[in-house]
Amino acid sequence: MKQKTLFEEGSLWPVIAALGIWAAHFLLSYWAAALWCAKAADGSGSLFWVRLAIAVLTLLALAAIAWLARHAVRRYGGRLTFEDDLTEDSAAERARFLGHATLLLCALSAVAVLFDAVPAVVFSTCR
Amino acid sequence: MTDAPASGPMHPVLPHPDCQDDPALREAQEQRLRAVWKKPTGWRYFSAVNNDTVGVWYILTAFGFFAFAGILALLMRVQLALPDNDFLSMSLYNQLFTMHGTMMMFLFAVPIFEAVSILLLPELLGARDLPFPRLSAFGYWCFAIGGTFVAGSVFFDAAPSSGWFMYPPLTSEPHLTGIGADIWLLGLSFIEVASIAAAVELIVGVLKCRPPGMRLNLMPLYCWYILVVAGMILFAFPPLIAGDLLLEMERAFDWPFFDTTRGGDPILWQHLFWIFGHPEVYIVFLPSIAIIASLVPTFARVPMVGHSWIVLSAVGTAFLSFGLWAHHMYATGLPNISLGFFSAASEAVAIPTGVQIFCFIATLLVGKVKRSVPMLFAMGGIAIFVAGGLTGVMVALPGFDWQAHDSYFIVAHLHFTLIGGVVFPLLAGLYYWFPFQTDKLLSERLGRWAFWLMFVGFNVTFLPMHLTGLLGMPRRVWTYPAELGWDTLNLVSSAGAFVIAAGFALIVLDVFRPKGRQPLAPRNPWGSPGIEWSAAVPGESWGARCVPIVTSRYPLWEQKDLVREIDEGRFYLPDAEEGQREMLVSDILDAEPTQVQRVPGPTYKTLLAAALLGACFIFGTYKLWWLTGLCAAGTVAAIIWWLWTGTSQIPEKPEKAAGRGLTLPLYASGTRSVGWWAMFITMIGDFSAFVGLVFAYFFFWTRHEAFPAADAGRPDLRLLVTGLALILAAWALMELIRRRHAAGGIAWARWGCPLAALLGLAGAAAFAGALWSAGLEPTRHVYDATCWVLVLWLGAHVSVGAIMQLYCAAGSWAGRMTPRYDADLHNVELYWNFMAATALCSFALLGLFPLTAGGP
Repeated sequence: MKQKTLFEEGSLWPVIAALGIWAAHFLLSYWAAALWCAKAADGSGSLFWVRLAIAVLTLLALAAIAWLARHAVRRYGGRLTFEDDLTEDSAAERARFLGHATLLLCALSAVAVLFDAVPAVVFSTCR
Repeated sequence: MTDAPASGPMHPVLPHPDCQDDPALREAQEQRLRAVWKKPTGWRYFSAVNNDTVGVWYILTAFGFFAFAGILALLMRVQLALPDNDFLSMSLYNQLFTMHGTMMMFLFAVPIFEAVSILLLPELLGARDLPFPRLSAFGYWCFAIGGTFVAGSVFFDAAPSSGWFMYPPLTSEPHLTGIGADIWLLGLSFIEVASIAAAVELIVGVLKCRPPGMRLNLMPLYCWYILVVAGMILFAFPPLIAGDLLLEMERAFDWPFFDTTRGGDPILWQHLFWIFGHPEVYIVFLPSIAIIASLVPTFARVPMVGHSWIVLSAVGTAFLSFGLWAHHMYATGLPNISLGFFSAASEAVAIPTGVQIFCFIATLLVGKVKRSVPMLFAMGGIAIFVAGGLTGVMVALPGFDWQAHDSYFIVAHLHFTLIGGVVFPLLAGLYYWFPFQTDKLLSERLGRWAFWLMFVGFNVTFLPMHLTGLLGMPRRVWTYPAELGWDTLNLVSSAGAFVIAAGFALIVLDVFRPKGRQPLAPRNPWGSPGIEWSAAVPGESWGARCVPIVTSRYPLWEQKDLVREIDEGRFYLPDAEEGQREMLVSDILDAEPTQVQRVPGPTYKTLLAAALLGACFIFGTYKLWWLTGLCAAGTVAAIIWWLWTGTSQIPEKPEKAAGRGLTLPLYASGTRSVGWWAMFITMIGDFSAFVGLVFAYFFFWTRHEAFPAADAGRPDLRLLVTGLALILAAWALMELIRRRHAAGGIAWARWGCPLAALLGLAGAAAFAGALWSAGLEPTRHVYDATCWVLVLWLGAHVSVGAIMQLYCAAGSWAGRMTPRYDADLHNVELYWNFMAATALCSFALLGLFPLTAGGP
C-alpha cells in the first residue's frame, strides 16, 4: 500500500513546519551569539559577524516560511479567513483546514522570526 | 508519515442495520457488553484498568495532593502573617515552600491534566477506552506511589528544602541538603516516567482512536489541546530527566557535573531545568484553556468563533513556549544579546495566547450566554489569568526583571497565571463534567459561594503581593523584621489565603456530600454539543454503546437522531460476541476505520510493576544498591510478564465484522498498529533526553578553553570504531530479520535476534572499554564524567534493546509471534533505529569531537 510522503497532499506536517523554521532560526541565532561570545569574540566583543549571520538567517527563514505559505495556498487551498468554518465532512475540506492552519502559523512564525531578529539590530557587542 | 487508509468505503451509506431493530438482540448485546466491561468489585477493585475508574482515582489523588500542598501554603501564610514570627522553624519553612511548589507543579498541575484527559478523552471520541488501558493504570500507580513518597517526607523532617527548582551547588552537596534532594530527584523522576507514559497514551488516543468520520477539521478543540500538550511533554520532560540523572550522579557518586572546582558548572542545571520548566507552565495552562474551550460553545449556545484560530494558537503557543526558558535566568550574566532573544520570544508567545482569549470573548459576545457555575469559574479564571499574563509581559523584559527578580512580585505573577490559568478552569470543568461521571449535579448555590469566596480570597491574597514585592520583600524568606513596612500587606495576604481555603472547602463538601436522595441529572444537562454527553443516565461502564459516525464538529447539535441511534447500537462494534474488550482504530487524517483493537482487562500486573519500580527508586534514594538492583530486575520481569500475557495476542480469526457491513482486521503491525506509534512517540521522548546529555557536552565545551583539556585522556578510537560497527551491525541485522521473517524465515527471528542482542551488547562494551583503556575517571573532571554518562546511557539502552530482541526470539519459539503476526518485531526494529542514531551521536562526541580540540 502506498504511504503518503512528507509534503504530499493532506499530510499533517506542514502545520508544524512553519514553527519548526522559527525554532531553527531561534536556536541558531542564540547559539551563534552565545558561541561567538564564549569562544570567538575578540577583546572588543564585537558582534559584527554574528549580526551579519543572523541577518542572512532571518532572510532565509522568512523565504522558507513564504514558500510554505505558498504551498499551503496552492496545494491545500488554504486561505486567511476568519468567518469560514471549514466544517464540511470531506477529505478536501480537511485539507483546506490544514492549509488554513498552516497559513495562520506561517504568519505567526514570520512575526516571531522578526521579533527574534530585533536583538541583533539592537546589540552590537557581547556585553 | 501518515498511514494510508484501509481499502473499502468510508462509513458506507448503507441503511441503518435493520437487525438492530430487534429489541431482544439489543438486550443480548448489552448483556454481553456489560459483562465484558464490568468493573472488578471487592478487593479486586484495585485491579481495574478502565479509563473511567483509573481516571477518577487519578483526579482524586491529584486533588488530594493539591489540598495537601494548599495546607502547606496556609502554614506558610500563618508564619508570614506577622513580622518576626516563629510559628515555623526556618528549616521547616524551607521544606514547606519547596514542597508546596514541587507538589503543586509535579503532583497536581501535570497529573491533573493527564487524569482529566484519561477520564474524558475516550468519551470525547466516542471510544470505549484508551488504546493502552494497562499503561494508564501503570502510570497512575507510579504517580500515586511516587507522590506519596515525596509528600510523606515532610512528616519525617526529610523533605527537600532548596526550592522547587533545586539549584545546585546548594543541592549537589549531600551534607547541606540531607536526603531531601535525593527524594526530590528520584521521586520526581519516577513520576515523570508516569507523565511520559500518559503522554504517549493520549497522543496515540487522539491520532488513532477517533470515531469514524471525525476528520482533523472536525476534531473537538479539547483533543487538539491534548495532542499539543502531550507532544510538549515529550520534549519538555526528558531534558529534566537528563538533568536529574546528572545531579543524582553527582550526589551519589561524586561525578562533578555542577562542581566548578573540577570543570563543572551549576548554570547547566538551570538550562536543563528551565527547558523543562517554562514549557511546563504551558503544559499545565493549555489543558485548562481546553476545558474553557469546551464550555464556551455550550453556554454561549453557538459554535466557537474562530475554531481554526484557536488550533493555531494552541500549536503556536506549544512551539514558542520552548523559546522562553532563559527568561528565568536573566540574572545569571548571559550576554545581553542572548537575553534579547529570550525576551523577544517571551513577548511573541503573548500573541497566540491572546488570540485564544479573544476567540472566547468573541464567542460569548455572539451567543446568548447562559449563566452557570462552570462559566463563573471559567470567566473568573480568564480575568485573573489576563492580569497574570500582563505582569508576565512586564517581567519578560530583562530591565524590569532585574528589579523584580526573586521578589514577591514574581510570586504574585506566577500565582495569577497558575491559579487563573489552571485551577479556576479546572474547577469549572469539575462543575461541568461532574454529572457526566456521577450522574448527579453539584449544588448551584454552594458553587456560587465557593466561586466568590475563592475569587475574592485570591485577589486579597495575591494582588497585594505585587506591592510587597516592589517594596523589596524577597521570596522564600522565613520571616522579616517589622520596620520594613511589609507587615500590613502580609497580614492581608494571609487573611485572603484562608478565604480561598474556605471556598475550596465548600467545593470538597459539595463533591463528597451524600447525594443518595438527589434526583439523577437529566441526560446532557447543559445542552452540550460534545459526543461525551450522549451517554445514558445512569451510565454504563462500557464507555460507548457503539462507536458512532461523527460528521460534524458539534455532533449532538447537528446530527439528528444521533443519540437514539447510538442507544440502539446502530453504529460500529455494537456487540462483544467473542467476550473481548474491543475498540476501533482509525487513520490519522480522516479517521477511516482500519482495525478492531482488542484491549486487555483488569490485572494486578501493572500494580506489581509500578510497586517494584517505586521500590527501586525508593531504595535508590537510600543508596541500598542491592535492593535497588533486585527491584529493578523484578520490574523488568513484571513488565515482561504483563506484555507477554496482554499485548499482541494472536486473534482467533484474522478479521471480524465491525457492524454496518464493515469487516476489519483484528491485528495490525508496523505503522498501522497503535503499538508502533506508541514506540515511536516514546522513543522521540527518550531521544530528547539523550539530546539533553549532548547539550551538556557542548555546554561544557563552551565553558572551557579546551574541552577536552590537553591533559585529558582521549577515548580509544579503535575501540570506539569497533563499538559503533557492532551496534550498527545489530541494527542492520534487525532490519534484515524483520524483512526475512515477514517473508516466512522464522529461523531469522529465532536465531538472528539473540545474535543481534549479542552484537549490540558487545558494541556497548567496546564503547565502555574505549573510555576505560584511556583511563577516564568520572570523578576526576567533568569531561570524564560527561563521556561516561553518554556511554552509560548508550549501554542501558542497548541492554533494554537486547531484552526486546530476546523477547522477540522467545515469542517466535513460543508461537506467539509469526510472520503474519509480527507487531513485536516491527516495534523492536523501530527501537533499534533510535539505537543506531544514539550510537552515531555518541561516537561523534567521544571519538571525533576531541580531534578538533587537538590531541594530547
